[in-house]
Amino acid sequence: MTTLQDAPPRRRRQLAPYAFIAPFYVLYALFMVVPIGAAVYLSLTEWVGLGTPEFVGLRNFADLAGDTSFHKALGNSLVFVFVSVLIVVPAALLIAQALNTRGLRARDLFRVTFFLPMVISPIVIALVYTLVFDRQYGLLNSVLRALFGAGNTDWLGDPTMVKVSIGFVLLWRWVGYLTIFFLAALQAVPRERYEAAELDGAGLIRTFTAVTLPAIRPVTAFVVVTSFIGSAQLFDEVYLITGGGPGEETVTVAMFVYRAAFERQQFGYAAAAGLVLFVIVFGVSQILNRVLSIGRIS
Amino acid sequence: MSRRGLLRLGGGVGAAAVLGGALSGCGRAAEADPVTSGTVDLSFWTHDQAYVDFFATAARNAEAAGDAPFRWRLNPTRAGAQDVVTKTIAQAIAGRGTPDVAGLEINNFTRMLRGEIATELLEPLEGHLDADVRDDLLTVRTAPFSKDGHLYALDSDAPLVVYYYREPEFARASLPTDLATWDELAEAGRRAHERHDVAIGAVAVGSDLTQITQIFDMLLMQRGGRFFDEDGTLTIETPEAEQALAFLARGVQEGFLTTVSDFYGPAMQAALKSGQLIGQWMATWYKIYGLMPNVPEQSGQWRIRPLPVFPDGGSRTSFTGGTGFAALRAKRNTLAGVELVKAAFLTPAEQIRRYVDLGYLPTRRSVFDAPELLRIEDEYCGGQRMVEVYRDLIDEAPVFYLSADRPILDTVLSGHLLRAYHGDSTPAQALRDAAEDFRGQTRDHD
Repeated sequence: MTTLQDAPPRRRRQLAPYAFIAPFYVLYALFMVVPIGAAVYLSLTEWVGLGTPEFVGLRNFADLAGDTSFHKALGNSLVFVFVSVLIVVPAALLIAQALNTRGLRARDLFRVTFFLPMVISPIVIALVYTLVFDRQYGLLNSVLRALFGAGNTDWLGDPTMVKVSIGFVLLWRWVGYLTIFFLAALQAVPRERYEAAELDGAGLIRTFTAVTLPAIRPVTAFVVVTSFIGSAQLFDEVYLITGGGPGEETVTVAMFVYRAAFERQQFGYAAAAGLVLFVIVFGVSQILNRVLSIGRIS
Repeated sequence: MSRRGLLRLGGGVGAAAVLGGALSGCGRAAEADPVTSGTVDLSFWTHDQAYVDFFATAARNAEAAGDAPFRWRLNPTRAGAQDVVTKTIAQAIAGRGTPDVAGLEINNFTRMLRGEIATELLEPLEGHLDADVRDDLLTVRTAPFSKDGHLYALDSDAPLVVYYYREPEFARASLPTDLATWDELAEAGRRAHERHDVAIGAVAVGSDLTQITQIFDMLLMQRGGRFFDEDGTLTIETPEAEQALAFLARGVQEGFLTTVSDFYGPAMQAALKSGQLIGQWMATWYKIYGLMPNVPEQSGQWRIRPLPVFPDGGSRTSFTGGTGFAALRAKRNTLAGVELVKAAFLTPAEQIRRYVDLGYLPTRRSVFDAPELLRIEDEYCGGQRMVEVYRDLIDEAPVFYLSADRPILDTVLSGHLLRAYHGDSTPAQALRDAAEDFRGQTRDHD
């Protein structure tokens, strides 16, 4: 076999750069190209997990277009995306703003407190919130009954309230994590800008919109995009707390994929759904990148 | 060709080569030299440590009896019931590392029915059984683990459904314990709920969708209906299903049935401990896995009885649960695995020991008449001879069939059941909607 060392010097010089970058491309091919290629290939087949996949063309995608369960999953994922982007992100910014207040005591304590849910295992979170939200014997209804004499809300069994409950868990779990990013960005805003705004007579809101928001725009863009991607692929919280229920009221697309593959043995169908999710997440992320000018703002 | 094009081409060719090899190599080839006797190390997968202990003892008993062709040494692996199936299939895809014997919990066994998975993975057992044993096995427990005429697993239990009730609490609430019909019990239960805030049963409404449908399924089967026909056709749009669901919905709305998020978790424990829940229809194993761990202090207070009947028909019992033990086919240890399952699950002595040790009922009809079994008095149930109740019921047990689409049904039906419980839809409407959703999600070209 001819090796690089056996090759003539000129040829060796030509091949050397490829040899240097080869490790990256080999790993890239193994861990990126092959899995994505496998998913694309599987999405065009019918496969129960054993035997040879049967090529079915685009039939899986056609079935997805008419699958009410998949539509429900898309709708639910959209709800959780909105919760993340429109509630969790602004809440994180507000908390960061509060923590950035000059002279605030025990700032680190607050920071740790808000960040704590992020480092707790999702299993523990699910266990705790299942107990909190239980209709008959849950902490929340017990407190409501004790305080107001009315606490019969089915937090995890009512189609609407279950989304509220999951939304609250998302808020509780992620807001502290995102706060850290915003706090870092806020602390990097030069004080002179605030002093200038003050001299110009700007009030609190005007200062926030004219100074703070533009200054932290790159971080905001990053947080929005990562929150969008994370919530579009939401799985842990709903799987552990509601199992997608009641019925399919909290099934997300990621859960739909898991269920099709590992509960129904429909690997081709699952791959097709995964591919649709990938295309949506990739497409929207690209749009957000352009709208928020990520990477083009210094 | 540009350098970028060259790299793209190389990536594509590499991916195609790896994919082709990976996916076309998923068929299973037979391993060489099957073991036919002697000492054998068996990999044994189950979700329950109690099965490991039971099989290990059964192996020792068979060895001591001297008539076993093998001396089994178990290498047990414990995983969640769902994971046992998932990992078995994953290892089969990998082409190595499958278990020799696997315990497949009945709800997860449905996954084996998809496509050719059972045929590819599991050894058909009917040819390994003597005719007298085959005839003695309860067909109601072989039907769920069969496909296309082949029996792929032997059930660990004949989990008859009975009505558990807490005798002192029934007396305190002036509830008769011998009411013949559900309607009578419901009426008495409604009055008891109003006066004493107790419930005569619970329905699951939590995140475990299987539990939600399980409660309905037990009553549906008792009423004479079932989820699926033998050919896998959905059969929930029936008067039987409507009546069963109407009873549950009425119970939740009138309060004589309570709701819990998890039948085996804290909510159920709270309901039992607080004395609010004083009865429940459930399988034979519920005493060991539900009552005894959650309310050990209530030992001696519980009793069982046949289910009250539905006035329009059905039987006095039902089924729920079960775990089939199967041997993986085309392996060196296939025969050893089959013989172990037979030794553990088919001899009358082991079937009796299984009831004594694990609380699981025999799957051979003749064993229900064994005097040593009938004589057993249950301490937790106040010294009641429970097998006498079970023997009285076993010939009424309903036949039911599994379908690979059962997980889909669990998903769609659970939501509509909850709507019916809440009064948001009538039982008939809920069942119609569930059937429609099911048909929308079932992919008949699988």
